[in-house]
Amino acid sequence: MVKRILRLLETAENVVMALLAVTLILGAALQVGLRLFDYGVIWLDPVLRALVMWIAMLGALAAARHDKHINLDALTRQLSGMSLRVARICTFLFAAGISVVLARASMGLVDLDRESGTMLTEHIPAWWSEIILPVGFGLMALRFTLRAFVVPDPDVGSIPTAEPTQ
Amino acid sequence: MTWLIVALIIALAAFGAPLFALIAALALLGLHLSDYESTVLAVEFNRLAESPVLIAIPLFTIAGYLLSESGSPKRLVRVTEALFGWLHGGLAVVAILACAVFTAFTGASGVTILAIGALLYPALREAQYSERFSLGLVTTSGSLGLLFFPAVPLILYGIVVQSLGTTPTAGVEDMIKAGVFPGLLMLGALAAYGMYSAPKRTHDRTFSVRELTASLWDARYELPLPVFVLGGVFLGFFAASEAAALTAAYVLIVTVVVRREISLKRLPSVLREAMELVGAILLILGVSLGLTYVLIDAGVPERIFGFVNEHVSNKWAFLALLNVFLLVLGMLLDIFSATVIMAPILVPIAISYGIHPAHLGVIFLANMQLGYFTPPVGMNLFIASFRFKTPVLTLARACVPFFFVLLACVLVITYWPTLSLGLLNHSP
Repeated sequence: MVKRILRLLETAENVVMALLAVTLILGAALQVGLRLFDYGVIWLDPVLRALVMWIAMLGALAAARHDKHINLDALTRQLSGMSLRVARICTFLFAAGISVVLARASMGLVDLDRESGTMLTEHIPAWWSEIILPVGFGLMALRFTLRAFVVPDPDVGSIPTAEPTQ
Repeated sequence: MTWLIVALIIALAAFGAPLFALIAALALLGLHLSDYESTVLAVEFNRLAESPVLIAIPLFTIAGYLLSESGSPKRLVRVTEALFGWLHGGLAVVAILACAVFTAFTGASGVTILAIGALLYPALREAQYSERFSLGLVTTSGSLGLLFFPAVPLILYGIVVQSLGTTPTAGVEDMIKAGVFPGLLMLGALAAYGMYSAPKRTHDRTFSVRELTASLWDARYELPLPVFVLGGVFLGFFAASEAAALTAAYVLIVTVVVRREISLKRLPSVLREAMELVGAILLILGVSLGLTYVLIDAGVPERIFGFVNEHVSNKWAFLALLNVFLLVLGMLLDIFSATVIMAPILVPIAISYGIHPAHLGVIFLANMQLGYFTPPVGMNLFIASFRFKTPVLTLARACVPFFFVLLACVLVITYWPTLSLGLLNHSP
């Protein structure tokens, strides 16, 4: 049951990420096109910048799923078996704890901007876009907790997966 | 108590805790010590959304991933081979140029070795370059091109410096110009060394007009890219972020719609991989903005400057010290984290020694480039070790002569500011 929910969550995450990425690309290109014809849309710029934040948070969340977060791995490369398990539990639970603190701190930011009525554009309140921060960090905490108890495939590690097309 | 926490954070770092969490922990500790609320960290993190250039990072990263997953690396190697393969040591020159172009477009995320090095290593061995030379060359070249736009570390440095609001400053557009000649110097030096060490015969490939036209035609969709990206930005038609937007849209359309080398089914996973890297970089950048706030609030840069100034009186001695420091930093930290953490501290200190932040940026990136293939954490060593199934130590030894060639370049870059600042319209 839990596994199915997790898988569903991952698929949803992938689809949303791909859609956001394509929207960002096309939106940014559209903006350049409009500028070349001296036709600016005022709300497009802040919306694109908010989109970058969403992409960053969702990307970071996906990075947590695949252990792609940047770390110092000179020592952990030498670990295996029990010592690797213990190291992962300590470091990932630490990352989860920090993510909880960050989620709470950014919830504070959301509350602040909601009360003061800060706007992103004329019609969109700023907190609508900022809500991704507490949500993203919250989910990241959950994911780091899960990853703490999994030992990764030793062959793959942090090596990028891109292989040349033959 | 504070020192106990710092020691704990260092221990967690050694055992591989994610860097963003470590930086955030330090920032939170600092906020706590100066009686600020943790919301300040979130506010600083959210300042990411204020940068108009930031969008260039996801766009160029996506474009780079799409390019490396397509047949572009192969076509790039073919064109370069047709153009320069006939020179003495031609294949070495080809490897250096192709790697530099590809790294500039993929942001030095390590894919150069996988995409270009993997194509060129067998060719080099076949042309009787020694195993040691070939391994050293492809491993070293994996980080070449960092100083050329649109390499993401170059953009990142510009964004960080601009957010500091110092005078003089060095935005992305300044960094683009500053990197040109130092980058060419590194290319030229490596190419010369490659030609010098090449097997003793006249050429690796014979020149053929037919092959050249065929290879150019083959790469017809990729060829306009460097032209309009570099040309557009240098001539001032586009801002860096606009060049990023056009590049990403163009690459997306060419790889998915025109050439169909990436199927619609595979596209989401390629995009996801690019976004994982973007997420990892921006998360570190965001929490580092928080740490910078704490450090500046506590007057740390002034204190470091006071300390350094007491012991180092002139600019040249400072530059020498800076090089040693950056080399060690590059051995320990990856380029993205090193940039976002150290640039805010180094820039004010450098300015007070009369060093332009754009010059500092070039020195910084050039040193970091060496760090990519220096043990213990040189990322390219591990990627090459994985790809060529060779022990890391063997690779590190193979890189030694290349290291010294590039180190000589770093020294020239450091002590000859005009090389970096010549294209800038700056007032000293």
